[in-house]
Amino acid sequence: MNEWEITAVVLGFALVPCLTVCVLATPPSALTSLQVAGVLLSTILMLLAEGFHRQPFIDLAVVLAPLAFLGSLTFARLMERNL
Amino acid sequence: MNWRAIVAVILLIAGGSLELLSVLGICVMRNAYDRLHYVGLAGFGALLIGVAILVRESFSLIGDKALLVGVMLVLSGPVLVHATMRSFLIREFGDWRKKLHDGEPPEDA
Repeated sequence: MNEWEITAVVLGFALVPCLTVCVLATPPSALTSLQVAGVLLSTILMLLAEGFHRQPFIDLAVVLAPLAFLGSLTFARLMERNL
Repeated sequence: MNWRAIVAVILLIAGGSLELLSVLGICVMRNAYDRLHYVGLAGFGALLIGVAILVRESFSLIGDKALLVGVMLVLSGPVLVHATMRSFLIREFGDWRKKLHDGEPPEDA
């Protein structure tokens, strides 16, 4: 296990508190936690691509980063109306 | 271990620490307005890790894309925080121009 994979595992465990806040906290706090989780997931995909030397994984990170951004903006927009 | 590997590991540890710090902030802060401060910080952690990959791999396909992802996350962070804060204020007060709290501590949003 190299240093990239170890960091990916550590950040993977860091997703657990984010998901816990997502489930247990109020909706605005859950959205904030979801935004951080999206950044974490993009980073984990980058780290796995480097750790395994698999270039397709970094394409997933390139796609996930803008999609997480757009998804969070959509949730924020919907949350204005108390949905 | 050459200098590229050493610099990459230092950047990797710094970036991972920033991301863990942002997760800690998400967990311990009182309400959503406080938690929002840590969204931008996570983006900077991703940028440091992207730069670490770039240092390790130089300007290859994977290095360029790692840098691209890091820059995207850093640039999208403030936009996301601003838009989310605006929607929270509209949700709570009906208008984002109103003050967050006038003399009284905010309730948990």
